[in-house]
Amino acid sequence: MSSKRHSIVPPVSQSGPKPPVQFSSSITIADSAILTGANLITISTESVIHPRAKIESLAGRINIGRRCVVQERATIGAVGSAGKITEAAVTLGDYVTVEVAVSIEAGDTIIGEGTTIGVGSRVGAGAVIGKHCTITPHSDIKAGVRIPDYSVVYSNGTRRVDKRPVAEQLKYKGLARQIDVLRRMIPSNPAKFM
Amino acid sequence: MAPLPFSPYTFIQCPCSDSTLLARPADAKSPTGADAEEDERTFDPRAPRSNYSLYPLEYLLYCEDCHQIRCPRCVSEEIATYYCPSCLFEVPSSNLKSEGNRCTRSCFQCPICIGPLSVTTQETRHPDANLLSADNAATPHSGGFSLTCSYCHWSSTEIGVDFDKPNGIHAQLAKIRNGGESRLTAKERKERRKELSHRGDSAAAAAAREEIEEQVPDLENQFANLKSFYNSQLADPTAADNGLSTLGDLGFSSPSSLSRIMNLYTGGKISDNKAKSRLGAIREALTPEEGLLVANLDEAALISQLHQSEHCDTASMAQITSQPPNLGEPALHGASRFTSSLRPIPHLLRTKRSKRCPVCRHIISKPEPKVQTTRFRIRLVAGSYIPSISIKPLTLPGPSGSSSSNPSDLLISLKPVHYLLTFKNPIFETIKVTLATPAATPGRFPSKVTVLCPQFDIDANTDVWDEALKDNDRSDKSSRNSGGTTRQRRGTEAGYQLEVGKIWERGRNWVSIVVEVVPASLRLEDGGMLREDEDILEIPMFVRIEWEAENAGDDGGIVPGAGGKDKDQKEKRELAYWCVLGLGKIKQN
Repeated sequence: MSSKRHSIVPPVSQSGPKPPVQFSSSITIADSAILTGANLITISTESVIHPRAKIESLAGRINIGRRCVVQERATIGAVGSAGKITEAAVTLGDYVTVEVAVSIEAGDTIIGEGTTIGVGSRVGAGAVIGKHCTITPHSDIKAGVRIPDYSVVYSNGTRRVDKRPVAEQLKYKGLARQIDVLRRMIPSNPAKFM
Repeated sequence: MAPLPFSPYTFIQCPCSDSTLLARPADAKSPTGADAEEDERTFDPRAPRSNYSLYPLEYLLYCEDCHQIRCPRCVSEEIATYYCPSCLFEVPSSNLKSEGNRCTRSCFQCPICIGPLSVTTQETRHPDANLLSADNAATPHSGGFSLTCSYCHWSSTEIGVDFDKPNGIHAQLAKIRNGGESRLTAKERKERRKELSHRGDSAAAAAAREEIEEQVPDLENQFANLKSFYNSQLADPTAADNGLSTLGDLGFSSPSSLSRIMNLYTGGKISDNKAKSRLGAIREALTPEEGLLVANLDEAALISQLHQSEHCDTASMAQITSQPPNLGEPALHGASRFTSSLRPIPHLLRTKRSKRCPVCRHIISKPEPKVQTTRFRIRLVAGSYIPSISIKPLTLPGPSGSSSSNPSDLLISLKPVHYLLTFKNPIFETIKVTLATPAATPGRFPSKVTVLCPQFDIDANTDVWDEALKDNDRSDKSSRNSGGTTRQRRGTEAGYQLEVGKIWERGRNWVSIVVEVVPASLRLEDGGMLREDEDILEIPMFVRIEWEAENAGDDGGIVPGAGGKDKDQKEKRELAYWCVLGLGKIKQN
């Protein structure tokens, strides 16, 4: 079958030594995902790492929770301007969706359960985002900011609290379905990173 | 911060700012004729009035009957259709009077972030859903519907509003107060009242009164109450109990004085029998039933709510002003101050407009009435009637190149620069262009301007392919024209000197000429400050174009001396207008 589309981007060179990883057996990680750094990268049950997503553990440990989706060209653990080395660089809770081209900087950054980080957003070092937040596309979360649970950050940093009746179960179910589809579409190759 | 690079521009003056032209439309056909002093006055682009008459060519329209440029300011507009920008449905203008200028279907904007709202089924909780297990079967929809914003996740459930049906949201919303309480619309209330009064017994009337009293005094029903009260007052002038009116006959509060005043205008007799009989006074509303609304001066609840809320909970000015008038909100104290009480905004309707010439009333722009199409039936844009002027700095290579500078560079005072003006002819006739500029630009800093070739012809805008095939004849053509001012571009390596009275370059339907400018010195003797934009070099230029058009035959707009009035005879036309060329910025030192 030659119908496969070939990327015009040159292949990613996996330079340097492989970082230590701790993968759950049920994760989906694309062959062309990039894992670098010297600290431990933990990816829990049923999480999906898209192709060309980049996880850097240069500045500390990276923890990715259950059923997280890290989309293309997202960078988790980017060494930002602060560039300090901490114990846990980035911690993603369960059911976190990190969309395309998001940059999450390292330095005790915590993203709570069920939060969605929109396309092209930037999360500064040490920011703590609560549970079930929505960061709309192209938002800039400054370093060290604390965002309470159920917040919506929209239109250049305006914030509001999402007061809808909580429908976590429904959201989780949708995400589970999405992961189910992704698992079939993204050929997984965790062995490459072990 | 680096200043933005200056890009040259051309603005054209619409003749509408000359009040004389509009008053005497006959003159438009022969602008060279009448007012000599008007022609001799140089147009000053810096005059305060000029701001309102200068437009880029793209903004201008052209009236074919008056042969005159028309700007957005001087055309008269007519609304062709009203439509909703969201659902693209046309709204008949009769509906507009009754329903207002907002979409009455289901098009709403988010009150928080103005994103479009969509109708969604209400999410219901499933306690049995297992987190990490396989997906459950889709449950049938049970709850109501709500409006949700997919951007900021606002939902109408936040203000306690949900809907029974997914369509006709506007009508449903009108009946729901914030918090989900339903309210009667004016029509329903009227019907109910009628029903009760038909029954006639006192118990029913009492029930009605009770009902009115327990209603929240919102804008609509307070107005209705007041209206019915005053109507009854006017109808029943003998109602004597007037605790409030002490002015009696002389005041304006009695029906008799009202009718007396009205008689002054209608010309009836003051000593009307009918008016005499109306001696009672109109009293004021005394009960809530009559429309009295007692001001609630105790705002403690509001203040404590403010204390408890954060800054982001209070509605911004933009949010409040974009709220539609809500007839259901309480009068006097109704305006919502918190984002938690903002209601969805129905989309404002938009219009398609046709434009008419102010003088001859001919339509010069008319859109397709269908909302979905963006095309125009009639659109007479000035760009297809008058030549466009583009400006380019002229860089001369070699040692003689005095103006070898980047276009973004600032002009240096007293150092001559050259600009290439390219005139492009859009019409199918050869046009004769005559340019005039003042020798020095108006204003405090006069720059010297010389148009090297103020008079030239531009060939017709013929078919591109015809021209390409005729390319061999080009040499003949240029030789035919060479008696005049016309020339092809001079030798590429030898020439390059600028010659007065010669065209720089010409093409199929365009001609380039050179303008020499000596920028003024921006030095002020008294050391004062430059005013705003005084460093911009703007040249006023009077353009007069002449061409021979087919005789339309209907308007008789023939310049005397152009020949007979036969149909096949060509008639001479001319158009003259001022334009302003913005060339560059002069460097300040």
